[in-house]
Amino acid sequence: MKITIPALLALLILFPFVLNDPFYQDIGVAVLLAAISASAWNIVGGYAGQVSVGHGMFFGIGAYVPLLVYQHGLWPPVIGVPIAMGLSVILAAAIGYPTFRLRGHYFSMATIAVAELIRIYVGTVDYLGAAIGLQGPAVGRGWWDLTFRGELPYYYIFLGVLAVVLYITFEVQRSRFGSYLRSIRANERAAASLGVPVRQTKLKALMLSAAFTSVAGSLYSIKTGFIDPESGFGLLVSVQMLITAALGGAGTLFGPLVGALILVPLQAATNTWFGGGGSGLTYILYGGIIVLLARFEPGGLYEFWHHLSIRWRARHAA
Amino acid sequence: MLLEAKGVSRAFGSFFAVRNADLTVNEGEIIGLIGPNGAGKSTFFNCLAGDVVPTAGTVSFDGVDLTRASPDVHARAGIGRTFQVPATFEDMSVLENVEVGAYLRHAHRSDARRRALEVLEITGLSNVRHQRARILGTPGRKRLEIARVLALQPRLMLLDEALAGLTPVEIRRAVELLRTIHGMGITLVIVEHIMEVIMTLAARVIVFNQGHVIAQGKPEDVVKDEGVIEAYLGRNHGKRRGRA
Repeated sequence: MKITIPALLALLILFPFVLNDPFYQDIGVAVLLAAISASAWNIVGGYAGQVSVGHGMFFGIGAYVPLLVYQHGLWPPVIGVPIAMGLSVILAAAIGYPTFRLRGHYFSMATIAVAELIRIYVGTVDYLGAAIGLQGPAVGRGWWDLTFRGELPYYYIFLGVLAVVLYITFEVQRSRFGSYLRSIRANERAAASLGVPVRQTKLKALMLSAAFTSVAGSLYSIKTGFIDPESGFGLLVSVQMLITAALGGAGTLFGPLVGALILVPLQAATNTWFGGGGSGLTYILYGGIIVLLARFEPGGLYEFWHHLSIRWRARHAA
Repeated sequence: MLLEAKGVSRAFGSFFAVRNADLTVNEGEIIGLIGPNGAGKSTFFNCLAGDVVPTAGTVSFDGVDLTRASPDVHARAGIGRTFQVPATFEDMSVLENVEVGAYLRHAHRSDARRRALEVLEITGLSNVRHQRARILGTPGRKRLEIARVLALQPRLMLLDEALAGLTPVEIRRAVELLRTIHGMGITLVIVEHIMEVIMTLAARVIVFNQGHVIAQGKPEDVVKDEGVIEAYLGRNHGKRRGRA
């Protein structure tokens, strides 16, 4: 572990120079964005074990608000980032407050329902661009528009945001809040008996997770300069966060990043190999990963690695 | 008086698991709660711990009404409980399990860790502190549950069959541990099937049958009670004893 983290860090920092083709740099940016989204999801879905299948709603709010402030007020999109974070936190509280009263799968069901409702509603409102969506500035008026020609500036901005998200997650993990989250995931009833305010803790986790997911959405729309209901609030957006975190290891610090490092290049490869004819392959890929994880290693690659290292140590100790 | 349950009833539909049960616990006591399977002990126990809200009656702790309060409020008030089937946090280490309890009175990580390490020392789990809870056997898990509750710094510990499934040697060790905990000034209410444990530890025993409290008193008196013998061994046995 002591060598793995600096090696991973060096790989991420030096990546655009090692593979300086714009195609690979674009994949690098997509990896970082997927890692940010999945790390954000991981706080509530991984550490607290409250599986949200509708995190696209926070991503969508984050993606829409910056382009909305640009389109209707000609303000720099970046002004919309904190507004979107605030709105996402309010929405998270509105969903979490009633659903966290209940145990089991109610929260997951509520998140799917709300995300789908928002997606359908946004597609009907002209002010929000309806089904066509919204566009950002085609040419930057200044650096504050964050509209760059190359991928490199985006890569390092995204890397910086990922570093902040991971650092906060690391601090959460080693705090009382993190300990409470993991105890809730393991056994809610036992956690409550040890004084853990279960509902309040879950709610805080969801609000924090929503804020970070919203930032991921904002980064996406500012970079692409475009957003529509499907790419903002679509079910696939939510499922991608879930799968990425689960593949690497939900409830672990680097699990989502590892998941993104595998999943995003794999998607890019399938798109390249099959072209337009393989547009449905992403769903098949996700389905296949769910089946494999459920059958062989529900803890994801992190858990797989943990088991391997235990076996390796046992063999060498013998 | 530390804990007082008055007229506690709990119904599931038309079935009363507990009917009009009373219990008073004084500070420093060790009380045994016994009864045949299905007598309503665990439901009554869950009412005391805040896990189940009574249909009727009141539960108060140190003069504060906790009848409808959630389990975390009970913990903050000073009531800790273990579970009949150990509910350890399987993927967390033994130390992390205990830290969850320790965080209740110590917000900072270093303070919580110090408290957790102290408790692990008392409960004899220091040598496995970095192991995941899932690798522990039944005795280890039962001990870990006790350790977790101890980290709460409770005034009252509710132990739900904390010694079930242990070997005689393990039971002797666990009894020693409970004596140590009692020596720290913690009041104990023990639900237990192992009569040896109840007879050794409890100063007062309360016997449940079919949701009712059918007897209470000193252990040596309660085991001679005709109603208690009948509840455990059947009506005919009671009659035969009566004729003999």
